[in-house]
Amino acid sequence: MPTSSTDNLILNRRSRWSRFRANRLAVAGLIVFVSILLIVIVTLPWTVHWYNVQSLDHAVRATPTAHPAVPYQAFNNALQDSRLISWPGLSRFIWQATSWMGHDDLGRSLFHRILPATLLSLIIGGCAAFVAVVLGSTWGATAALLGGRVDAVMMRMVDVLYSLPYILTVILMKVALTRPLSSLFDGHAIPANLLILVLAIGSVSWLTLARVVRGQVLSLRKQPFVEAARANGASTLYLLRHHILPNVAGPIVVYATLVVPQAILQESFLSFLGIGVQQPIPSLGRLAADGVEAVNAFVGFWWLIAFPCSALVVTLIALNFMGDGIRDALDPKSSQAPMI
Amino acid sequence: MTAFHPFTWVASALAVVVTYAYLNSTKEAPADFRYVNSSGIHTLDPARMSWTQDFRVALNIWEGLTTSDPRTTKPQAGAAIFPPLVSADQLTYIFTIREDARWSNGDPVLAGDFIRGWRRCMEPGTGTDYTFLFTDNLAGAADYVSWRRKAAGALTTLDRLRQGWEIDAQAAQSLAHHPVFEVIKPSLSLRSTIIDQHDNHSASLGLARQLNTSNLNWQALYQQTFDQHVAQMDQRFSNVGLEATDDKTLLVRLLRPCPYFLDLTSFPSFLPCHPSVELLREGDVDSGLTREGLVVYDPQWTKPRGIRNGYPGLITNGPYFVSDWKFKQRLRMSANPFHRMFDTLNVRTIDMLVYENTSVAIMAYEAGEVDFLPGMDVPYDHELARLSQTGQRRDFLMCDTFSTYFMSFNCKDERIEDRPNPFIDARVRKAFALAVDKEAIVHAVLQRGDRVATTFIPPGALTGYPSPVGSQMDIAAAKQLLIEAGYPQGQGLPTVTLLYVPSDERVCQALAGMWETHLGARVELRCQETKSFAESKANHRFMIARGNWYGDYYDPTTFLDCFNTGNGNNDSGYSNTAYDALLHRARVTTDIAQRLELLAQAERIIVEDDLPIIPLLHYASPIAVKPNVSGIFPNPRLRFPFRYVSVAR
Amino acid sequence: MIRPLARRLVWALTTLIVVYVITFVMVVMVPGNPFQQSDRSMPIEVEHALRARYSMDNNWLYFWEFLGGAVRLDFGPSFTYNDWTCTQIVSQALPISAMIGVLAILFAVLVGVPLGVISAARRNSWLDVSIVSGVLIGISLPTFVSGVVLLTVFAVAWPILPIGGWGTIKHLPLPVITLSLPFIAYICRLTRSAMLDVLGSDYIRTALAKGVSPHQVIWTHALKVAFLPVLSYLGPATAQAVTGSFVVEKVFGVPGMGQHFVNAALNADAGLIMSTVLVFSVLLIFLNLAIDVLYAWLDPRIGLTI
Repeated sequence: MPTSSTDNLILNRRSRWSRFRANRLAVAGLIVFVSILLIVIVTLPWTVHWYNVQSLDHAVRATPTAHPAVPYQAFNNALQDSRLISWPGLSRFIWQATSWMGHDDLGRSLFHRILPATLLSLIIGGCAAFVAVVLGSTWGATAALLGGRVDAVMMRMVDVLYSLPYILTVILMKVALTRPLSSLFDGHAIPANLLILVLAIGSVSWLTLARVVRGQVLSLRKQPFVEAARANGASTLYLLRHHILPNVAGPIVVYATLVVPQAILQESFLSFLGIGVQQPIPSLGRLAADGVEAVNAFVGFWWLIAFPCSALVVTLIALNFMGDGIRDALDPKSSQAPMI
Repeated sequence: MTAFHPFTWVASALAVVVTYAYLNSTKEAPADFRYVNSSGIHTLDPARMSWTQDFRVALNIWEGLTTSDPRTTKPQAGAAIFPPLVSADQLTYIFTIREDARWSNGDPVLAGDFIRGWRRCMEPGTGTDYTFLFTDNLAGAADYVSWRRKAAGALTTLDRLRQGWEIDAQAAQSLAHHPVFEVIKPSLSLRSTIIDQHDNHSASLGLARQLNTSNLNWQALYQQTFDQHVAQMDQRFSNVGLEATDDKTLLVRLLRPCPYFLDLTSFPSFLPCHPSVELLREGDVDSGLTREGLVVYDPQWTKPRGIRNGYPGLITNGPYFVSDWKFKQRLRMSANPFHRMFDTLNVRTIDMLVYENTSVAIMAYEAGEVDFLPGMDVPYDHELARLSQTGQRRDFLMCDTFSTYFMSFNCKDERIEDRPNPFIDARVRKAFALAVDKEAIVHAVLQRGDRVATTFIPPGALTGYPSPVGSQMDIAAAKQLLIEAGYPQGQGLPTVTLLYVPSDERVCQALAGMWETHLGARVELRCQETKSFAESKANHRFMIARGNWYGDYYDPTTFLDCFNTGNGNNDSGYSNTAYDALLHRARVTTDIAQRLELLAQAERIIVEDDLPIIPLLHYASPIAVKPNVSGIFPNPRLRFPFRYVSVAR
Repeated sequence: MIRPLARRLVWALTTLIVVYVITFVMVVMVPGNPFQQSDRSMPIEVEHALRARYSMDNNWLYFWEFLGGAVRLDFGPSFTYNDWTCTQIVSQALPISAMIGVLAILFAVLVGVPLGVISAARRNSWLDVSIVSGVLIGISLPTFVSGVVLLTVFAVAWPILPIGGWGTIKHLPLPVITLSLPFIAYICRLTRSAMLDVLGSDYIRTALAKGVSPHQVIWTHALKVAFLPVLSYLGPATAQAVTGSFVVEKVFGVPGMGQHFVNAALNADAGLIMSTVLVFSVLLIFLNLAIDVLYAWLDPRIGLTI
């Protein structure tokens, strides 16, 4: 049972970490995730300028080879627009990589699109999860703490929202919000579009968390140490800060790690519908959807589907393994099962 | 094992459902000829159609006064004897309907059936996009349609008022345009007595408020207006140049000489309609109008089987009739036993199958599940074009269509979303147009054998039309023009927004690249779904937007009318008095060569001087026809009359 | 049992009405003229009269008229597909989606539960690791990718099944399997973690200590309890599967319901949006109720709560 003692928390933290480390899959997930994150962030100064360098003359849908078809000059020109001091060795190396994964229908290097796409997908996933966590935990905790009628009404609202088909909600939100939000951004469509995407995905993912948090808070309220604190005259805010939040943090973290991959997947679905991230900005879902559309019986554009999908699957699996590991580490009960 | 065992339940449930599915599966024989329609039918009502794929079905199940030649789509004999009698001034056409023209239930096709069909396209409520074909050409049609529309608007508002509902500014305006407003006006205290179409919103809002609070006897007023309108309807319609002099003779009077009128009569809006449709007319029994003054039929009239009022189901007069229609799944056409070609039809049944995903449709074609693909719009269509051009696939044919794909500029609004609009200056438009490498777009980006467009009307498609030259890419001139307009190297240009739909992705990204490199412009891409796109365009929230236009009939005006001031399809808000004057002169000119010369001058203004659009290309549309199918020919309007098709099995 | 059931029914009805109100508000907020067929503009008087004809010029009127119609299962006309009423569209599409959905769910249970049980029983073995990884791939791969892969393999490269369409039993396997993949993955996960909980509990230890064979302990004693979370997941999952999947329908050319959720929203087809939402909500609410009744019957300690 969770306690509020500081010593115990540290001990818990240590044992959680060691439990997490013992889970080989989780550690592998963590390592893969961190390396993906490192690669996409380190290469960002280049890819942010190169992801949309088109070469309509040379390399439209060129197959992956070891030799870049597009001259370095074309890429270097794109870099010079920026104030960034390019590091010739590294940029040459990254340029070399342009052809490894082939090119898309505008002759853009798939490699240079996948890297920022992965980052963008992670950002969308993370932001959507953040929206979901903030909404869900506030809603659930408020309902549980206020109790009574308010609780009943709030949870009924969650029930009602559950019975709306989420895809329709997302699309309607997107359609209805696009105009008001773009005027908020001075008519700039791209940030408005990203924000809507995050809000739409986040706002359909918070329902489960609201239920979980409410349940946790309700059971915490009955714990002896909370009742003791309340008997000593602690305010609701104090209770929330010192006793409740630290103890529901676990389930929230677990849930958040599971929402991130879900949100990434949902973005890919929206991209498949053509209402995801706005071109030319790439996201993994967008690239995978483009690849799928190019599947045909005549020419095998295998790289257009294989590389984006691998990137997507690897990222999601790493996230899921991590999430599972965290859950096991925070919830030791499940590891006590006997081996049969 | 104990009593509870979920697997047994689940497995047996699975078995039950699979057996059910097996018993339910269709054992029907496949049709003689199967083709794919990617998105399904929008409507089978000829008066409401606006999509090529709907036209295709309509022209196979109905037959107009003329039909299309399968190769050239030029008019040829149809339900009427060809050619009709034409008066010397070319204003009167007399069509005699064939004695053997019959509906699919055996009834003879009468001249009145054509009047019924044509009238449906004019009446507000049934007619939609193509009403203009009648109002532009038929004598008296414009007056009748505008009289009917105004009445519908006014009756709607009066109806709302008599029921005590609040009306809004738009509704108030509809009422103000109708003569009945003269009766109402004395009881209102209006500051301005004239409220015209372009009146400001606040005036109409004030009017709406007054109408809402006024205590006129709306019920009586409504009834009086309605009765008057109904009483006048037949007399008004008799002024339209349409007359059945006897059962089989149709007399058509035109507004002005119309060299393409015979071509029009093969268009779906000019199809006849069987009298049984009146069984499904809605609204007041005596007048046949709804409370709003609209002519409305139960949309179910296009279904092969009747539903109520003893309606026998859709009756058509073409070589085929609809024998079965499953939504978004299949539409089956069978040979019409009463049609004169019944004995010569090789293909007795046709299935129109729906595959939402064109790639899957192509796979189905490759697997032999389908015989004909009338369109192959896929991201790898350049590969299909290559296979066709190199002769590797003789069954992939390219149709050079009567169409243009272009980018249109917003030439009207000073500011768009708080940004100044540089494109009200023709020099900036021209600079952007000259900076586009159309060759690269056609040959490198799309690679599917489209023709590069320098003009709006596809050159060579119209006999005797002297197409202007148009403008070629010229980067230096483009830069110079930008300097003249005050934006050297693109400095001072606001961020330009480019609005398009998902299928334009490749072209628009390439265009943005060209403008960024050559002109130093910053371009923001804005991809929207079709419905949002149409809405943004209609409300002028764009600087540059994609557009395409398919010619409806073989005449320059089907293209050029789009840029007439105030035309409903004039998305760019372009207005030039010289252009309008040329079009007007062409309209009243009877000499054919001179008329075409005037139209060519008008086109020269939009493709060489003012450039409200950048014509990019004329579509080449790939189709796939199995080698054992004959009688399908590539044609510029993608009409494929199936009566000439035969399949060797 | 009767009283809580009645309360649940009342609550279900309330939920439905609230769902209707929310959807209605969203639909009214979506911009656009529903009568416009193409890019070409429509005369303003005609649009005004048509709106009035379908009671769409007044939101209150429209609200009540649609509700009145919906009670009689008459959802009014569709404005994108002029020749069809929403009722016809839904009643043609729902049986098709339901067939695929029910099969997919049954298949998912039949495959997912045993995988989860084996994975839990052989915890941390290579078998467990490969099942868990397989499941994660199933969750991580978007359906549009797995569907296209299955299609290319089983209909193009090795043509044993038709490419797409609907009508015969041969059209079933590919959509069903594609649709069931994420469900298999989720059910397997649920079973595994529930099973791990159960296997850690005292009565299983007791049973093992008493000498009941491990096989029997797992497949009967433990599974009986571990199946309950799967059961409660099946309610929403079935509602979702039965109302169709846009991706599966698009990839395999199935004329089901899923496409209408997406197309109706994109085309701003008010009637179709509301009818699809109502059908989905009715299914979800009543399937959930059915599952809860089943739950209460299987595990009388829980009882039926509101």
